[in-house]
Amino acid sequence: MSDPLVSATGIGYSVDGAVLLGGIDITVARGELVGVLGPNGAGKSTLIRVLAGDLLPTTGTVVISGLEVARATPGELALLRSVYGYPTPVDVPFTGRAIVEMGRYPHRLREDNTAEIDRTMVSDAMDRTATTRFANRAFATLSSGERARILLARMLAQDAEIILMDEPTANLDVGHGEHILSEARRLADDGRAVLSVFHDLNEAARYADRMLLLDRGGLRIEGRPREVLSGDTLSEVYGQALRVVDHPFLDCPLVLVGG
Amino acid sequence: MPLLGVVVLSAAIASLSLGAVDVPLREVGAVVTGRLGLSWLGEPADQAVAVVWNIRMPRLLLGVTVGAGLAACGVALQGLLRNDLADPHLLGIGPGAAIGAAIGAGAGGIPGAIAGGVAAGVLTSFILRRFRRRLSIDPTRIILSGVALGAALSAWVGFIVTASDRSVVPPMEFWLLGSLSGATWRAFGTTAVMVGAGLLALLMMRRLLDLLVTGDQQARHLGVDVELVSTVLLIVVGAVVGATVGAVGVVAFVGLLVPFLIRRLVGPRHGHLLAGAALAGAGLVLVSDLVARLSLEPVEIPVGLVTSAVGGPVFLWLLARRRDV
Repeated sequence: MSDPLVSATGIGYSVDGAVLLGGIDITVARGELVGVLGPNGAGKSTLIRVLAGDLLPTTGTVVISGLEVARATPGELALLRSVYGYPTPVDVPFTGRAIVEMGRYPHRLREDNTAEIDRTMVSDAMDRTATTRFANRAFATLSSGERARILLARMLAQDAEIILMDEPTANLDVGHGEHILSEARRLADDGRAVLSVFHDLNEAARYADRMLLLDRGGLRIEGRPREVLSGDTLSEVYGQALRVVDHPFLDCPLVLVGG
Repeated sequence: MPLLGVVVLSAAIASLSLGAVDVPLREVGAVVTGRLGLSWLGEPADQAVAVVWNIRMPRLLLGVTVGAGLAACGVALQGLLRNDLADPHLLGIGPGAAIGAAIGAGAGGIPGAIAGGVAAGVLTSFILRRFRRRLSIDPTRIILSGVALGAALSAWVGFIVTASDRSVVPPMEFWLLGSLSGATWRAFGTTAVMVGAGLLALLMMRRLLDLLVTGDQQARHLGVDVELVSTVLLIVVGAVVGATVGAVGVVAFVGLLVPFLIRRLVGPRHGHLLAGAALAGAGLVLVSDLVARLSLEPVEIPVGLVTSAVGGPVFLWLLARRRDV
């Protein structure tokens, strides 16, 4: 296997003496969808913000596509990674298409980019996400599911090799949620590196190739879904009795609440 | 937009023709074409040349420059702060610039006033830069803070003007309410260079402004250096507003009224917004100046009173419409 696209070594983040993330190693290779799990306060969001370059880690380094994140400019980072799942102000006045076109902003200085490529990428992204019919509607007037799909289209238009997602299905109904996760799966299958924070253990079980279970800022266990999702560890980390069984008709584990 | 162009042009022609001495349109045409080296409208009278070319033309052009600059700065600030209540003068940049301009006027006449206005305008915008980080979650608070800042800075303008030599420094009324009556070709030239450069810079940043409206975090993920862009925007806005204040004092609400109207005409993209606002801002100041000159003729009222009389109620209406107040 080639070098991983994301390679974080010993990353930690502390603020005012509180350790939010304590020296974690992470890699994400091409073709992989890595799920990050853990209870509230385990450090999932801090982790994704450090990987995205929003927070400078107090220890360790993050390297994406050979570039050290702490030394990169926002412009360089935007060509390499896209970030999905951060809140947008709800009153954004732009049309759906204008929002998706913003995904092409990082490419404006590339010599091999043309207005024609921009247009094609935007249209393709909107086709894929079935958002073409919202193209001329104001983003602010769309439902949260429709907004999520517009932002997904913007991410596709950005066309980065590394995709970071923070609870991509939060606030979405099951249909919109599955749409976004299957798109994430497809991006990984196309050879991109996807890392996503999951709130729902069963979504992670269905879509992730590999899982990281965080607990109080540390990496508790890492591995394939069947290795990480074991009733005893999960119950202890989440402080809730959980039981893991085989999914009745999919080839993945299923987490159930209760003893 | 074409309609807007016609309005601006008509206001421009009217402001050359009307006033204490009415100059017939044909005579106005003769002066302007004569100055361009053409003589097909005949030789204008000396008095007409003096009134139209030496007094009204610089006043017209300065009004256009100030209006375009203030309106474009309003658009830029509203984008940066994600807040359609933002106006360079309401946020205190105008009164801050007036302090520098009054000091500069004492030291070096009109060029001194413009230089002082630019310097103090940029300094005041940096005070706002500190506000932005802490208060950006609550858009109404930043406006309140700006109004308080503006009130305090206006008081200082009063102190400085009162302590200055009255034969060189214009009175407080000029600084805080604005007037185009002292317009000269020189004042226009200096202001136009600053405003022109500022407008060009803002237009070059139009896509960045679009991205900022979707949120700092989102803009950063799409490659915008948010801190750098905010700093550059505030320097440009401070300098442009400062130059206008140095030349004509504080003309309030232009930066609030014009973006509010133009947004409805051209939509949210900053390329269109900036261009449309520059044109409409020029028109608003021209019309307001006509009203200021003609309504109580032969006495002139400060042009800022006219813009505030219209802008104040619109501001109240915008404030009442917000759900978060």
